Amino acid sequence: MKNALAWLLWIWLSVVIVGAFKYAPLAKGFIGESSRILFFHVPMSWVSFVAFIAAGVWSLMFLFGGRKPKHDRAAAVAVQLGLVFGVLATVTGSLWARIMWGAYWNWDPRQTSIVVALLFYGAYLALRSSLEDADSRARLSAAYAVLGLAVAPFLFFIMPRIMFSLHPQSVINAQGKIEVESRMVQVLLAGSAGFTALFFWLHNLQCRIESLSERKSALRDRG
Amino acid sequence: MELGGNGWIVAVNLIIWTGLFLYLLRLGKRLRQSEASLEKEP
Repeated sequence: MKNALAWLLWIWLSVVIVGAFKYAPLAKGFIGESSRILFFHVPMSWVSFVAFIAAGVWSLMFLFGGRKPKHDRAAAVAVQLGLVFGVLATVTGSLWARIMWGAYWNWDPRQTSIVVALLFYGAYLALRSSLEDADSRARLSAAYAVLGLAVAPFLFFIMPRIMFSLHPQSVINAQGKIEVESRMVQVLLAGSAGFTALFFWLHNLQCRIESLSERKSALRDRG
Repeated sequence: MELGGNGWIVAVNLIIWTGLFLYLLRLGKRLRQSEASLEKEP
């Protein structure tokens, strides 16, 4: 990422942090200041979803775009980062659930679906590490991540909506309407955009690290 | 100056975010240097 863009992201997310605590009002029906954690929980969950979908798209590019290793690497790194953001979303959600529902874990459909998503993509990494042959590893894990293009939307958006849940309505509810105070929506959208940009920056850095590491070990093997 | 409860949380969040940001900037710079030195290898 160009330095100017990076500094823009620093300003952007700093404004989001300040906005989450000083600009956005407290949500109605929430205990104390607990609604402020949603300005981080919702973007984390969103970025996790974006990462899993991006992994599926890079896997499709791998399978149908000439089997380039860079696409396989990009998909694997996206899943790794998606898991990190997914765990952060789960932890922030559990902290909020402790305040609102009295327990960190309640097996609510939202909580259950994110755990299933984390297990599904955890299995992707297990699959990768179980295969020694690089070609088979790339091909099989790409097919698995493409399957995730159907699984992730179901777990993130469909399953929590078709079952009774204590979880608050989404920002855009089942009727397709936004019924959240406008300043809260502004911070949520700005946070989601900022954390998505952070994800792509982290993704770029990690892909370059892995590419460098592969090139260096190839040079060592030659020498 | 009185920061208040939320003020402290904002301050800590900003410090953590700035630390992570500076680390990532430095990592990017070191990666560019490593990539450049690898390009020079015969």
